[in-house]
Amino acid sequence: MTAPVLSRRPAPAASATAPRRSLKDRGTRLLAALFLAPTLVGVLVFTVVPIVGSVVLSFFHWDVIGTPRFAGTDNYTQVFTDDTVLVSFTNTLIFMVFAVALQLLLALALALTLTNRMPSWLRSTFRSAFFFPLILSAASISVVMKYLFNQDFGVVNWLLGHVGIAPVPWLTSEHSAMAAVILVYVWQQFGFSFLLFVGGLNTIPKEIHEASSLDGASGLRKHLSITLPLLSPTLLVASVVGIINALQVFEQPYVLTDGGPGDATRTVVMVIYQSAFEQLRFGEASAIGVLLFVLIMAVTALQFRLSRRFVHYQ
Amino acid sequence: MTDSNFPRRALLRGASYGAGAAALAGVAASWDRLTAADVHGRDDHALVVATLGSSVDPAAQRALSDGFRALHPGLDVRLVPVQATDWSDFFAKILTQIAAGTAPDVVYVATEGVQLFAQRLGVALDDRVRRDKEELREYFADVHPSLVESMMFEGSLYQLPVEFNAADIYLNRAVLKRSRVELPPPDWDRDDFTSLLRTMKRGGGSGFTPYFWTNRLWGGVVPWLFANGTNVLSESKAPGGDWLWDTFYPPRDRRGRGGGYRWTGPQATADRVEEVYEYLSSLIQDRLCSRPEGGSGTNLVGVFSTGRVGVTPAGGFWAGGLHTAGMRRDAYDVQYFPRWRTQRHQFGAAGYALLKTSKKQDEAWEFIKYSVRRDVLTQLFRANQTTPARRSMVHAARYEETGPQNWPVFYDTLDRFPATGPIPAPPQVAEVEQLLLKHTGTALADARGVRPALRRLQSDLEKAMERAA
Repeated sequence: MTAPVLSRRPAPAASATAPRRSLKDRGTRLLAALFLAPTLVGVLVFTVVPIVGSVVLSFFHWDVIGTPRFAGTDNYTQVFTDDTVLVSFTNTLIFMVFAVALQLLLALALALTLTNRMPSWLRSTFRSAFFFPLILSAASISVVMKYLFNQDFGVVNWLLGHVGIAPVPWLTSEHSAMAAVILVYVWQQFGFSFLLFVGGLNTIPKEIHEASSLDGASGLRKHLSITLPLLSPTLLVASVVGIINALQVFEQPYVLTDGGPGDATRTVVMVIYQSAFEQLRFGEASAIGVLLFVLIMAVTALQFRLSRRFVHYQ
Repeated sequence: MTDSNFPRRALLRGASYGAGAAALAGVAASWDRLTAADVHGRDDHALVVATLGSSVDPAAQRALSDGFRALHPGLDVRLVPVQATDWSDFFAKILTQIAAGTAPDVVYVATEGVQLFAQRLGVALDDRVRRDKEELREYFADVHPSLVESMMFEGSLYQLPVEFNAADIYLNRAVLKRSRVELPPPDWDRDDFTSLLRTMKRGGGSGFTPYFWTNRLWGGVVPWLFANGTNVLSESKAPGGDWLWDTFYPPRDRRGRGGGYRWTGPQATADRVEEVYEYLSSLIQDRLCSRPEGGSGTNLVGVFSTGRVGVTPAGGFWAGGLHTAGMRRDAYDVQYFPRWRTQRHQFGAAGYALLKTSKKQDEAWEFIKYSVRRDVLTQLFRANQTTPARRSMVHAARYEETGPQNWPVFYDTLDRFPATGPIPAPPQVAEVEQLLLKHTGTALADARGVRPALRRLQSDLEKAMERAA
């Protein structure tokens, strides 16, 4: 007889607890909102407002000193017909492709090497050494590298001279300047991807590798069929961050070559800086900034779209 | 029923949010723009003077401000040393300060920015100079008219020169000795120069570069353009300025003076310009000089003092630099830039400009006058980091410890070659400089690069000048 009683137990118990839960939920949400609010305000003030400001400014002529004058789409027309700007976009894309590819390959190769058996102290030493350039200032590194790569007095050519190689105009030839800038950039930046990959590799369960070994998989097969697919989310993050950073490269080419020789290493951000702060054409600089923003958004969106196919989550 | 209510509530909520946002935006828009100047207590009474950070040491800067305060009790001077890599970087930072609402009252401006500041921000000093002419007579008598003329724009004077540097040639005595050659004579020419480089190269070894130079507006390709009697922009003089010349200078010094320089039509494809680039290109091909972009002023002292460089163009400022670096005064010397078609030199000068935005213009003028006093300049330039604009300050005692034996060259460059003039710096100087440096690099990349690069330079300069017109 208990069953019918139980079955007749009224639903109010559930309905009575519902409002309490709802209140609790609401309180939690409010608390979360309170915690998030300062950051949100920061993002609005320091990110959203400047972006909107740049977009607005891109439709004005402004030289800092005078009053802004409405320019319509003049600045965009100017940008699309300016050879220097177009070359800078091409340079930046070339830089991005090679710098990111090299950076990821180097970081991945070193991360894979360091997951092999090795005394822990030696592994820590290598990890610290690879990460070290990342915490240094890009400008100061570039100043030092400028000395090292100097055609007449640099250490690099001095060393090459000892093995009979003629001095290379690293930073002063249109053929080698971009390569030198990429090398310096990759040397400094790969530590970030390297750390990500070390972390990603540590999350791959050893059992999977052990099982594949039992099945007779070779080292290369294990990397291609197990490590890389399981590392793909990390690869995605590293490549997205790497591409965004590479598209905004400034310090290295600015200090090493000042964009030269000619326009060989002039990047988009460098042109933005020069247009705004050297030539006082803030409207034009903003228009270039807006185009770079759109480019970065497009490339990032494309990456995420492609990632649906290539990224595997456990 | 609940379904039908939801959109209405959502609509009302959305409308109220929208109204709130619009109200906030309205309130924000109605506020006066908040600038850094609104920070309480910030420079509300002091006279703010912006200087290029590294040009004067802190002790000398203190002497400048303390001395002025002693002379004008109740008027504080706040010196703002702005750190910058070069003059264009310095000007960019000053303009950013102005945009932020924290414009200084007085700015230290070199030739590179004289016309830019004069055209947009500067206050002409004409009336004040006329008013205080008796007080200033001694100053102008002590300063070469070429320096004063370089501070004029369209007939008006915008700055009183404080210092200058002409591009002379520094020679390493150890290298001269090694090459068994003497210091060249004052009237040496381009062929003597080339011959000297070849001699130096022969005994220099593999890591030796006879001629070191940098790709910049001052001391780059421009001294060679001047020596060949040309320039990248056609040069003329603005009318006016008689009020100044007639008041302060004797007839022999007035001759040919005007109201300041005008640099207008680009002439990068002129034969003489091409000759200069061809010559420099040939020096590079023969490995007699560094490539322009490879050079850098920061490592120049090291390579010069250790005998890895034979000669380099520099002004009086370098005497102080070499002394600081530990180079003995008898280890190097200085000579005029060699003659080509002319022996006209280029120089750059600097002085304080009064800004339109200043609310203390009279006080700022008092500071400008104070800054060019002999006793003040003596305190400021103790370390020989530049050539003082006052002739009376350039004497043997000044260079006894820190200078080369041939120190009279520094000021005599102006006296001996009266046509010596400022580097080309029209109001759109930043773009001109950027284009010149960019295309100089390309022109000298290989032997066949000169003509196409100069054509591009010409075209880009034309666009830049048209855009600014």
